Amino acid sequence: MKKLFIRFTVTVFAMLIPAAAVCSDKVFVYNWTEYIPDAVLQQFTEETGIKVIYTTYESNEAMYAKLKLMDGTGYDVVFPSTYYVNKMAKEGLLQVVDHELIPNINGLDALLLDKDYDPDNTYSIPYMWGSTGIAVNSELIPIEKVTSWKDLWNEEYRGQLLLHDDLREVFHIALSIKGYSSNTRNPKEIEEAYLLLKELMPNVLLFNSDSPRMPYLAGEATIGMIWNGEAYMAQEENPAIAYVYPTEGANFWVDSFVIPKGAKNIENAHKFINFMLRPDIAQACVESVGYATPVLTALPLLDEQLRNNPILFPSRAAIEAGEFQTDVGEALPVYQKFWEKLRSGN
Amino acid sequence: MKPFRIIYLAIVFLYLYIPLAVMVANSFNVNKYGMRWDGFTLQWFSAMLQNHSLMEATRNSLLVAISSATVATVLGGLGATCIYLYRFRGRKVMQVTLLTIMMIPDIILAIGLLVLFVITGVSLGFWSLLLAHVTFCLPFVTVTVLARLQGFDPNLIDAAKDLGASESQTTRHIVIPLLKPALLASWLLSFTLSLDDVIVSSFVTGPSFDVLPLKLFSMVKVGVKPEVNALSTLFVGISVVLILICHYLTKENKR
Amino acid sequence: MKPSSRITIITLLGFWLTIFGGLPLLLLLVTSFLGQHPEKFFELNFSLESYRQLLDSSYLDILLRSIKQAVITTLLCLVISYPFVWLTARMNKRNRNIVLILVMIPFWTNSLIRTYAVRIIIGTNGLLNKMLLGLGLIDSPLRLMYSETAVVIGLIYLMLPFMILPLYANLEKFDYRLVEAARDLGAGNTQIFLRIALPLTLPGIIGGSIMVFVPTMGLFYVASLLGGGKNLLVGNLIHQNFLVSQNWPLGAAMSTALILMLLSMLLAYTFILRKMKSREVAG
Repeated sequence: MKKLFIRFTVTVFAMLIPAAAVCSDKVFVYNWTEYIPDAVLQQFTEETGIKVIYTTYESNEAMYAKLKLMDGTGYDVVFPSTYYVNKMAKEGLLQVVDHELIPNINGLDALLLDKDYDPDNTYSIPYMWGSTGIAVNSELIPIEKVTSWKDLWNEEYRGQLLLHDDLREVFHIALSIKGYSSNTRNPKEIEEAYLLLKELMPNVLLFNSDSPRMPYLAGEATIGMIWNGEAYMAQEENPAIAYVYPTEGANFWVDSFVIPKGAKNIENAHKFINFMLRPDIAQACVESVGYATPVLTALPLLDEQLRNNPILFPSRAAIEAGEFQTDVGEALPVYQKFWEKLRSGN
Repeated sequence: MKPFRIIYLAIVFLYLYIPLAVMVANSFNVNKYGMRWDGFTLQWFSAMLQNHSLMEATRNSLLVAISSATVATVLGGLGATCIYLYRFRGRKVMQVTLLTIMMIPDIILAIGLLVLFVITGVSLGFWSLLLAHVTFCLPFVTVTVLARLQGFDPNLIDAAKDLGASESQTTRHIVIPLLKPALLASWLLSFTLSLDDVIVSSFVTGPSFDVLPLKLFSMVKVGVKPEVNALSTLFVGISVVLILICHYLTKENKR
Repeated sequence: MKPSSRITIITLLGFWLTIFGGLPLLLLLVTSFLGQHPEKFFELNFSLESYRQLLDSSYLDILLRSIKQAVITTLLCLVISYPFVWLTARMNKRNRNIVLILVMIPFWTNSLIRTYAVRIIIGTNGLLNKMLLGLGLIDSPLRLMYSETAVVIGLIYLMLPFMILPLYANLEKFDYRLVEAARDLGAGNTQIFLRIALPLTLPGIIGGSIMVFVPTMGLFYVASLLGGGKNLLVGNLIHQNFLVSQNWPLGAAMSTALILMLLSMLLAYTFILRKMKSREVAG
């Protein structure tokens, strides 16, 4: 009996160890929650034999802190938003991306390349871009009533609102209502925005940026912020969840591939990025997660209806009304201070 | 028993079991969102087996749980025996440290260890996780073993020696049989604590070593994935079996 | 055991406890007195900044609120468990074992999964609301999710076994004949409870309360899954300062404050126990 038990234990152990110890060809990808469909990752492994170790985060801040903690090691591909590319590059957390190894870069929309946050795309290659607008459950709230960020302050929505767990996006709302730039570095303007947001707090039900569509689908939140892709995915399950570009302008962002300084599988990282920029793969990603791709060559592959879907591809007017996020540099701690106050002072 | 009492017990059990029951039912439910019953299926169990990252996290977790339970049981079991049988310098300090580790919230031990690992440059992964898990399991092992030893008369050992038994004979024939149920219980307890730990793991593991609780945390945050229900059902099943084994073994020994 | 192996074991355990038990706590204490730096985890100079922030800002509110939530959770666990254990302890041995096993099973099941299961039940379109609506007890669904109530329901659900088991260990030894004797002497139910049951089971009550109260303060994932990022516990703040905003000194200062608070509770507990023992001797 005792021998049997020992033999059993040893066998179980032996079964477990190879999985952990074998160091086959891998690439460590650290991404936003639900941003690449599983099928695409599997296809990458099938085609290249490189295993994808995939972990997720729910905010730029959490990703940045983790990378800092690991001192830039541990991950091979990460997806910071615009202003974080800038911040991380400045702090030496990123390494230069070798464009030679990514031939598919030629298919990218020139409008999204060579931006302020990363001139010449030295450290980053855009993966997807999208907007943050208003989600409305049109079964419960007449959609005509909601046109502007200001409508969120309506007292009827007490305890029903969802805000993203993202300080820049939440401050964008108040700053754009006040008529300021959402990239302002002026502490006065930031404070004014904070005071305005404080009045919004009784309406707020929750902060979520893991998967903001879920509380809408579960019937918990009825109105609030959402990313366009999440709105697109929500509509697949419940067409009543509408997406509104607010009149003050939506918040636009780009998420990019970067390779951290301490990445171990640099070649695989480049292979992965190149793979993700292939037209058919970009198409699969757009269809699954509902954000717009910078891969121009993928657009003709998309279904006519999808290509004309204003949720994914906003009108010129909506883009011009909105604003792209950029780095706020030394003002970030100011935002952070007010953000913490906002979340805890309530 | 009066009906009122039975109703009371029933309500408490309903509170404890309805959530589990819903989850188990949903793991066999055709309906993906579990909003209503659409028929019986085993498809989520096969989906679970095909979810590579989930399976890998499970494997990693089992590896850490088995290793840390074993190390903690051996070290804690032997240590508790020494603490009970002998008087040595630092004995009191040792007991206080063990008690402290058990009494402070996990999160505090977790960040303390994180600071230690970052300062000393231990890379976050299997080893940091193992060290952390053994540490928070140790007090539970020593407490269980000490409780078992409480009724033990140290004179028995002297008696054995007087009768000519060697040190190893005494250990093998007296101490180990006496401690067997306690050691087994400690191992199982440590195994479960390690497998269930979200708090410590979220601080001290790294990308190369994803573990089940963290995988589950990220999956649960997003919402319903029926594979998660299937996996949980499997774990509930395993827990029930383990508890029954544990119960059977301790009962056997009392006889 | 041979003296040599004895020394090895003691050294090894002592070494382990010092390095992985004592040292981390000491490091935390040291960290809490370091300066803050926005881009690094801390700055190597002595500073009381973190403690100052802890005192004069809204953190104190969160600390108080999370104590409040933990106290409510503990009290409700106690109120639910006490009659439960009282009834169980008087069953025959077989039934008692069955009840205990039934209490243990959820305790051995993954706590994240259980938190998630709670969400399925109490959601706006969840089972509870469907049942109540179906029975006609309410007109519109209760909105429980993402509130303090939701967090407390989840915490109670997770922590209940931690109250039941210590209480049971204590009540098992309770001699029920004392109650009968008191009744014969003409004591009423309230009197019996206050004068006999409560004092004799106090160690179990306090033990269980500590077992529930302490971990509750750190269970950040319950608050983040059921509280919607608003009803934060101290655990969430510590988690956030270490893994999101990288303010290690502030996180460490919060932890130190938490430890001090818990320590004073433990001291109070031992004090009460000692006092009771001395009274027993005197009586």
